[in-house]
Amino acid sequence: MSATFDPRRFVEASHEALNDPQLRPALGRLKTHFARGRTLAAARFGDFEALREQGRAIRDHALSRLDELLALFERTTQARGGHVHWARDAAEARAIVLAILREQGARSVTKGKSMVSEEIALNPFLEANGIRPVETDLGEYIVQLRDEPPSHIIAPAFHLAKEQVAETFRRSHTALDPARPLVERAALVAEARGVLRARFETADAGITGANFLAAAEGACVLVTNEGNGDLTRLLPRTHIVLTGIEKVVADLGDVAVLLRLLTRSATGQDISSYVSIMSGPRAAGENDGPQHFHVVLVDNGRSQLIGTEAEDVLRCIRCGACLNHCPIYGAVGGHAYGATYSGPIGAALNPGLLGVGMAHHHPNASTFCGRCAEVCPVKIPLPKIMRYWRAREYASGLAPKSAVFGLSLWAFAAKRPWAYRIGARIAARLLRWRAGGRGHIGALPLMRGWFAVRDLPAPEGRTFHDLWQRRR
Amino acid sequence: MSARDNILSAVRSPLGRNAPRPAPWQTIRPPGDLVARFVAHAGAAAAQVKILEGADDIPLAAAEILRLRNLPAILHLPPDPILERLTWSSTPGLTLARAAPGPEDAAMSVARFGIAETGTLFYPASSVRPASWHFRPGLEVAILAADSIDFTLEQVLARLQGEGALPSTVNLVTGPSRTGDIEQTLELGAHGPKELAILIVPGGLQWA
Amino acid sequence: MTARPRVGLFVTCLVDLMRPRIGFAAVKLLEDADCDVVVPSRQTCCGQPAWNAGADADAAAIARQVVDAFETFDYVVAPSGSCAGMLRLHYPEVLAGDPAYAERARTLAAKTHELISFLVRVRHMDSVAASCRARVCYHDSCSSLRELRVKDEPRRLLASVDGLALRELADAEVCCGFGGLFAVKYPEISERMADDKIADMQSTGADLVTGADLGCLLHLAGRMERRGIAIRVRHVAEILAALDSDFLPQQGGGVPTGLQAGGEGGGRVASVTSPSDALTRAASPMLGEENAVQAET
Repeated sequence: MSATFDPRRFVEASHEALNDPQLRPALGRLKTHFARGRTLAAARFGDFEALREQGRAIRDHALSRLDELLALFERTTQARGGHVHWARDAAEARAIVLAILREQGARSVTKGKSMVSEEIALNPFLEANGIRPVETDLGEYIVQLRDEPPSHIIAPAFHLAKEQVAETFRRSHTALDPARPLVERAALVAEARGVLRARFETADAGITGANFLAAAEGACVLVTNEGNGDLTRLLPRTHIVLTGIEKVVADLGDVAVLLRLLTRSATGQDISSYVSIMSGPRAAGENDGPQHFHVVLVDNGRSQLIGTEAEDVLRCIRCGACLNHCPIYGAVGGHAYGATYSGPIGAALNPGLLGVGMAHHHPNASTFCGRCAEVCPVKIPLPKIMRYWRAREYASGLAPKSAVFGLSLWAFAAKRPWAYRIGARIAARLLRWRAGGRGHIGALPLMRGWFAVRDLPAPEGRTFHDLWQRRR
Repeated sequence: MSARDNILSAVRSPLGRNAPRPAPWQTIRPPGDLVARFVAHAGAAAAQVKILEGADDIPLAAAEILRLRNLPAILHLPPDPILERLTWSSTPGLTLARAAPGPEDAAMSVARFGIAETGTLFYPASSVRPASWHFRPGLEVAILAADSIDFTLEQVLARLQGEGALPSTVNLVTGPSRTGDIEQTLELGAHGPKELAILIVPGGLQWA
Repeated sequence: MTARPRVGLFVTCLVDLMRPRIGFAAVKLLEDADCDVVVPSRQTCCGQPAWNAGADADAAAIARQVVDAFETFDYVVAPSGSCAGMLRLHYPEVLAGDPAYAERARTLAAKTHELISFLVRVRHMDSVAASCRARVCYHDSCSSLRELRVKDEPRRLLASVDGLALRELADAEVCCGFGGLFAVKYPEISERMADDKIADMQSTGADLVTGADLGCLLHLAGRMERRGIAIRVRHVAEILAALDSDFLPQQGGGVPTGLQAGGEGGGRVASVTSPSDALTRAASPMLGEENAVQAET
């Protein structure tokens, strides 16, 4: 991953994204395929609002008992022969995974899609230690070949055209006939299927994420459409599940409800092609399934959010609906955020995981339009949490000095109506004069961000309060 | 303090935070035949569903499926006693293979339950019903008994859990494998089967 | 016979500074709806810029001032979805930690309304006597839509305006890119969002866009001005109120006589003439007013 992938570069990266002609049609497809799919699926379901409320309650309940449920999950998983590991941060998580792989003598590793593995930068670490995990989710596989980070939670390679995928495959699949046609999407999918099947078969270990953890049953639940998650975990000797600590719910009944919300919110499907309920290593007599089953529970800043105004962000079930409906994400895409989590969930989560200073653009680059909160399947009040991060930034003195000064000046006047009247009177006259009969102002020595792309219509020249006084 | 202790104490909710457990979600079962509903949803998920008159028709139906797709007359069977008992003598031209299927092969599995709400097959894994067989082949032919179709996942889980402990793997399969990862356009057969054919037999199957 | 309700008009800082005519339009509409309108003098801003920027103490101080100034009224009405939303939805949160104001903030919130929703829902207004011969599209601001759930009400009143043909935007529920300080801090993204909204407006064939939030309208008008696009911009209160000249101080006071392209002082909103003419009028609302302002000083 390049040094340009940095949340502090949001403005520069957005500029690049806005000027990338390739990205626009891709972002348009998120609206027509995913967003529209969600609308249709919700309508088909019937009382989707009641389902959202149930989802919120299930997740809230789980978060309020997180310690109990995590301890219960550990017990039930161990009772079934699985191992549970606890990682406070990314470094501990990486070390745990490497230790498991080394202990098993695993050299070839396949991976299902796992945002947590991105978050802890697992792949570069394993590669530096002589193990190259092969991504098997098609989108992840493609971006891995291109040495790019994923650009969307659900559709990691959505930003690419099929020609770009074909070019990547030609460059990377050197054993195949260079003269083969690779025009149709179906051909690309078939090629990936063939190339990756060999990897599945020869892997010593498989690493996946988990969409949900059911505490009562000690089960990890994995949701995929491709089937790669299952081939990743069933064929090798060792299966490692990487998951955030917040993913646990009370039992599989709760998972069933969240599953209904997840697939409809993410892609508009009533259910994904595959839902796998995994609870421990293979039973005696079985030939399929891992002999060694490990769950790595990753904190990495999540626990710090409990008890704060940002706690509700931990309800997230990683559906991506907020991304698909966000006008800012819809303008710049995922890479511009320079972090694992982008869009509204990124804006609400990253200041907590990465620090308010590091991720300060994310909650600020929002109009608080509220569409994200409207479509979130578990009703996370995303704009409210973004505002909380802005308040933390302001209170810790990290907000840009000019903005703080301007705001303080404004607030000073706003709290003193007599002063405000005078100021507004002067401003109205000055601006009207500046417009000079043209009816609009093209530039001012302040608010450069406004005038960079817009004019300002001229004011009438008198304030309402002055005119109202004269009327009386 | 261990990492475990650190994390558990860090996530312990501040005093007073108690979000109650909601009442269990009740799915209102719409009127009409469960089997018909299953067929409709499975079809919507690009599975091909056929209702047979009896379990005796399974081998012929399977052979027909292969023939219609110009596939070789080879069907991979897991060591499932239910499949052993079928009347394979009625299809002498069909070769039964025991090895695990490859990505272009056809394989047959018996589903324990069906979920009508979404047209989903419910496969608890066992030594005679290996989980990987739902993902390895190019074509999966699934056998489902009409009596084992319930409406929701919750109902099916209750039935399963009534039979004993959860197996190490349970796979829910709805339609063939698919991906939208290239230009958000659906393509079937990403890593799992490119096609899923479901043969529904009336009544029940003696489950062993 | 119920008494006429006493309505405190929350003018909003943008209306006060940029478009007093919207305030006058609001007063007219409220008086048409049988309300007694009072404009408290100790009002400045709702505090949203401070609140959204995370300057919580400043926001609370401003909010207290608003509560003090407005809590005696039967209703508080603002010609702005975002300001009404601020008072209605956010003030209880802003002042939650202040025992002297928390309950009062909740009381104020419950009786605060955006202008159009107040006219329709509370005063049961279902039509206006106005005319505006134009193809009009309505811009739903995000606060109106999602915080206050105002969607049908402005459309119902606009439907009664003589000669007005309402065209729906394909993506009416997508943000225009104003977002307060966002427009200044992230101008390129704001620009893209504005251009998407403008393209939507253009594809409806509308010659006028209206809405209830002046911030959004200034942003869209400013962008269209920069690009030379001749779609007029009006606040919905201006269209519905069809201000008459005698409603406002005389020409010597230098005040707008109306909205029309006709310029006779007749006050009725007449048809749009040429696009450039309309643009000039949209941007420079008061011809001849220049002299009056100079006479003032």
